[in-house]
Amino acid sequence: MSEDPGFHRHGENSYVAEFGESERDVLLNLIEQLIELLAERSDHAQDDPIAAMIGITSHDSPPDDEVLRRLLPNAYSDEVDASEFRRYTESTLRSKKQAHAMSMRMYLKSAVDGIVDLDHENANFWLGGINDIRLALGVRLKVESRTSEELELLSPDDPLRGVYGVYSWLGWIQESLLSALMDEIDS
Amino acid sequence: MGEIMVKTTTKLEEEISAIFSSNSPWVTIVWDDPVNLMTYVTYVLMELFGYSREKAHELMMKVHTEGKALVSTGTREEMERDVSRLHEYGLWATLQRGDESL
Repeated sequence: MSEDPGFHRHGENSYVAEFGESERDVLLNLIEQLIELLAERSDHAQDDPIAAMIGITSHDSPPDDEVLRRLLPNAYSDEVDASEFRRYTESTLRSKKQAHAMSMRMYLKSAVDGIVDLDHENANFWLGGINDIRLALGVRLKVESRTSEELELLSPDDPLRGVYGVYSWLGWIQESLLSALMDEIDS
Repeated sequence: MGEIMVKTTTKLEEEISAIFSSNSPWVTIVWDDPVNLMTYVTYVLMELFGYSREKAHELMMKVHTEGKALVSTGTREEMERDVSRLHEYGLWATLQRGDESL
């Protein structure tokens, strides 16, 4: 691992990155928070075991929390259709997002010397998981209404400056993994 | 030669889906989002829909410059499946009837 940081393709179906200890801690912390946030939205409908078994939840309205609303968006602009669809699908979407985050956690926790070696499927899980964390941070940073210039000019004592640093770093990790995957497609 | 075959198939598929479009009047729309990286949107469209890099890039650019793009067409059930998969990967997507204004 003498190369630049970030992900690299190592032969077929192998995408490798080395994470420093502090990078791993930051990432694990964010992953735990994402898993917890998704779990907070867990079904009240678990009292009905059959509904739970086939993935029907009691949720038919979008989450109040702004981050969850972005992670679990409406599928229809029409509210009635959106509610109906959410009732039957939200719990599956939530478990898929949790599975992405759990794949990241498993790889980071079992990494030897901080080295993570992903196959294609898990690389996709990582892309999705990193993206969910970036979406969550993006909501807090209000990237909808702020330009990247404004975010780069945040004052050093603004707590959001650190958040923006992590957000940018994750974008860069994601970009390196994408480029390793695209490299495989091209070859 | 492989490349020519791929292009022919894509064109044929487009023609076929156009013929059947009156029977499958639902569409999936991807909306612009300031967080998702351009490469990421392109990659997700390639992975989920099997689109060529060229086609996926074109759709991504449309999302980026026009704020939205129609990424797939089919039955309501098919579009619900497509939207779910796009949501799984964090793209902002909705479905609607094909004859509704975008």
